[in-house]
Amino acid sequence: MGQQTSGRRGLSETGAALILISPFLAVYGLFLVYPFFKGVWISLHDWNLLEVAFNPDAKEYVGLRNYERVMWGKGITWGAFAAPVLQILGLIGIGAALWLGRTARVSRATAIALGIAALLLFVLPGFHPGEGGRWYDRRFWPTVGNTLVFVALAVPGVTISALLLAAALNRETRAMSVLRTLFFLSQVLSVTVVTLIWQIMFSPRQGLIANITELFGGSPIVWLTDERFAMAAIVITTVWWSLGIAMILFLAGLQDISKDLYEAAALDNATGMKAFWHITLPNLKRTITLVIVLQIILHFQVFGQSHLMTQGGPNDTTQVLVRYIYQTAFRDSELGRASAMAVFLFVIMGGFSILQFVLGREKD
Amino acid sequence: MQNRGYYWLVTLLAIPAFIWLVPTLWMVSLSLQPNEVLARTTSSTALGLVPIPFTTENYAALFAFGQTPLWFLNSVIVALGMTLGVLAVSTTAGYALARLDFPLKTPVMVLCLIGLMVPEQAVFIPLYTMFADLGWHNSYHALILPRMAVPIGVFLMMQFFRAIPKDIEEAARIDGVGWLAIFWHVMLPLARPAMMTLAILTFLYAWNDYLWPLVSAQKRDYFTITLGLASIQSNFAQSEGLGRVMASGVIASLPVVVLFLIFQRYVVQAMTVGGSKG
Repeated sequence: MGQQTSGRRGLSETGAALILISPFLAVYGLFLVYPFFKGVWISLHDWNLLEVAFNPDAKEYVGLRNYERVMWGKGITWGAFAAPVLQILGLIGIGAALWLGRTARVSRATAIALGIAALLLFVLPGFHPGEGGRWYDRRFWPTVGNTLVFVALAVPGVTISALLLAAALNRETRAMSVLRTLFFLSQVLSVTVVTLIWQIMFSPRQGLIANITELFGGSPIVWLTDERFAMAAIVITTVWWSLGIAMILFLAGLQDISKDLYEAAALDNATGMKAFWHITLPNLKRTITLVIVLQIILHFQVFGQSHLMTQGGPNDTTQVLVRYIYQTAFRDSELGRASAMAVFLFVIMGGFSILQFVLGREKD
Repeated sequence: MQNRGYYWLVTLLAIPAFIWLVPTLWMVSLSLQPNEVLARTTSSTALGLVPIPFTTENYAALFAFGQTPLWFLNSVIVALGMTLGVLAVSTTAGYALARLDFPLKTPVMVLCLIGLMVPEQAVFIPLYTMFADLGWHNSYHALILPRMAVPIGVFLMMQFFRAIPKDIEEAARIDGVGWLAIFWHVMLPLARPAMMTLAILTFLYAWNDYLWPLVSAQKRDYFTITLGLASIQSNFAQSEGLGRVMASGVIASLPVVVLFLIFQRYVVQAMTVGGSKG
């Protein structure tokens, strides 16, 4: 890349910029922007993978019918107490968000996010089929529910254990750095290696867990095919796998807390757990929120653990959204419906990404 | 402050750290035990964590027959190709966005920022139909190209180039050096640490990616090791023998674990960037 014509100074600034940025813009336009809009377009069609592959005209424009078929049903009504537990939780959440926002205990963005989440928790579970009604797709909302349950278990699991570990490991000594490495190691493994290991760990006949249970005279649990334990098994696997990133982010956050604070606290006899509670936690609030949002985005997209360990079973209890999209598209060949679900996924992910962006900005 | 409390803490933490390591150790240990033994019991010595009886026949068998070596090679090609591709488009675009002025710069930047929000799962169906129309499935470029469109590398490089003092460029401009030459001879050498981070992030992603190879590579000859491993784990006990499947798992993990142990600082940095931005 030497100097070009048009004088000694080569290309104009604009010319150079266009040459440098066009390779990226080309792949970006072709393989991200275009597919995104094509995805939305597919979701507006009756589009069978195999039929359209043989005859491009075999698709039919159906407008928003796919969204209706996926998310709606016949005779759907709304009731304030159709799903009392979740809806009451939602009401409590709305109250909490109002109170936290009013008293400025958390940042405005956090309060608004909490408020929206709580409002959705109150409104969404209220929908249900009325007398003689039914969902058009009986599996969609339970699948979304399973995904949310997975997120609700994995995110606190990862966050709490990573936070405690980070606080304990936050010292620059040789031993601590070795321990950090050990906790981080599993993070670099691929999902198929992780599921391979844990599938056999959980195996009732060959598994390490079963071997240990038998050592103490217990009878082994059939983890992956028992409705009560399958989700737990997947969550355990996920916590083991993805603790590392959260721990590292917390360690980075801990670096920003001034040592003076701890020394001052030590004078007041606040060390150990007390110091953790009164100094570490309050000063780490922003990092904690960020880690939680990141984890939600990451774990909402769970696929491999469910696909490889339980195949969504037993009885659909570990069926998650991305796996349902994958199956609808590539097993049932229903690209239109699958794309509608993918758009739904994008909207949710987009919401959390905006939240993450806002929170990240606040820091600066 | 190496007092008694500190040693207690280390000892206390060593227990969960060991438990954390056990699943990985177990995989390695099982891969080093004969299949006939594993068919009977997986807890011969110390719950199976120590490979006695010991054998290396699983690894020998892996390389003698089966497709694991081919899949491994595919993974190397795809991961290196993707890494080079991402580095090429990200450094150039990152520099242009950070330092050069051109029409529509702000809209381009906003467009790229929006792209950060689009998860792979939201575009894999249209990408599939598009690549099917082009007849591109079951090829290396089909596995490589979609990731090159993810703007995270552009932002990583842009942030890096922004932090470099402007004097260096200005001095070169006064000497009459063209923009492209400045990029190539001055900026790229400075950008090595950021490129290293991006390279590792991309390599790890490429090596471990599962969903896109799953839909794009249907012929076993084009499986990556990650995908190949998934294809043999569902019926491991009957066909291949537990020891051999575990040996495949070890082989599949070896490059990323070695990469991690050598470049730990970069890997941690890369995964933090990757984790926090998509």
